Amino acid sequence: MTASLISVMFAAIISQNIVLSQYQGICPFLGVSKKMSSAAGMGFAVIFVMAIASVFCWLAYNYILLPLEIDYLYTMAFILVIASLVQLLEMILKRFSPTLYSALGVYLPLITTNCAILGTANSVVVFNAATYSFVEAFAVSVATGVGFLLAICLLAGVRLKTDKADIPKCFKGFPITLVTAAIMAMAFAGFSGILA
Amino acid sequence: MDTLVQILLAGGIMLAIAVVFGVILVICSNAFAAQRDERVEKVENLLAKSNCGGCGKAGCAQFAEALVKGEAKLSDCRATPTANKEKIAEILGGGEIGEETVAVVHCNGGHACYNKYDYQGYGDCASCELIAGGIKACPVGCIGKKTCAGVCPYGAITVKDGGYAVVDKEKCTSCGVCIADCPKKIISRIPKSAKVFIACSNHGKGKDVMELCRHGCIGCGICAKNCPQGAIEMKNGLPEIDYSKCIGCLICVEKCPRKCIKEH
Repeated sequence: MTASLISVMFAAIISQNIVLSQYQGICPFLGVSKKMSSAAGMGFAVIFVMAIASVFCWLAYNYILLPLEIDYLYTMAFILVIASLVQLLEMILKRFSPTLYSALGVYLPLITTNCAILGTANSVVVFNAATYSFVEAFAVSVATGVGFLLAICLLAGVRLKTDKADIPKCFKGFPITLVTAAIMAMAFAGFSGILA
Repeated sequence: MDTLVQILLAGGIMLAIAVVFGVILVICSNAFAAQRDERVEKVENLLAKSNCGGCGKAGCAQFAEALVKGEAKLSDCRATPTANKEKIAEILGGGEIGEETVAVVHCNGGHACYNKYDYQGYGDCASCELIAGGIKACPVGCIGKKTCAGVCPYGAITVKDGGYAVVDKEKCTSCGVCIADCPKKIISRIPKSAKVFIACSNHGKGKDVMELCRHGCIGCGICAKNCPQGAIEMKNGLPEIDYSKCIGCLICVEKCPRKCIKEH
């Protein structure tokens, strides 16, 4: 159980990385990776929201949708759950931890509507319902968030360099960023052989 | 029929979930309402909201917060109209409002001031200044490469035909961004009600100034002698106007042989 959990988490962070091999969450990945500080802020916000979203989606799926036999409505229900959850979270943070709120504040509502969050919730709660227990679902979603943090911080680091590098004019900005992301994706995919 | 029931049932359940979440959110938003000082919002609404940064804070919201906490002075903000400042002072229970001022450029040299060399860069004043202290022969002459015009959040500064920067009195809110950014430090604030200002910053002797610029002050003192109110005093080769005495008769503007006292 532990071994399989570790391998699943490793896959979620590296070889099945949410951005670089599943193409989810591309928007913040490209949009917020200009500065290392904002990239890290976004990364932690993703981990935060993803972990909490999967917990509550798991509960909603197993204790509301399945008993009522409307589990085919999971996508809609999850959007509802995640959106209200983040709203609630924002209020609580604002009230009790202004420091954390000012660090994550802008990124929280931004990431709520991202496909990466919904995709992870769908994946760990519904698509893999038979294989993942509650704890595993939580662990995998945290690992997915960590994978996003890793990818966005690495890209931010490279972008800081490419911004200053002497590259052809037609490659400046997003083109070179996309090329960078492609090379990073290949590097991450190289790890997939480690897992049986 | 079955399908219809199922659709209605599914819709009803989703609606119920949504209503429950909505109610929870409303309750929580009241329960967790951040205990923000309500004065902050009131003060923020009265500020200029231009986020010019002239007060040294990141923006008007931060300035409002600092005001309420007592960490900033109302007079630090120059952009807010006096009427609004009075209201803010009322909310805060006192506070120095400060006189309404505008920025002026103390130079009218421009093309009348000789160039030391031929500048061929694309830079603004700040980069021109790095090369042998700027292109102008006068060490305090306006370079006219629009650094101030570029940073002005209100678009109040233009470099006109004269080749030196001119501040539009109506648009200027005296935020002070240009004052900080001018490499020659020849922009300063004068009262908005002022009628005249000295358009030269060179303290040099008459002959030296004449060699640099056709419009520079030569320190002859004619303005000081002719001022009926005694509001002008010669200090270190430049006239200084005491605006509390000035009545705006414009005699100094007329008498100045170099035309470097300007009507404001």
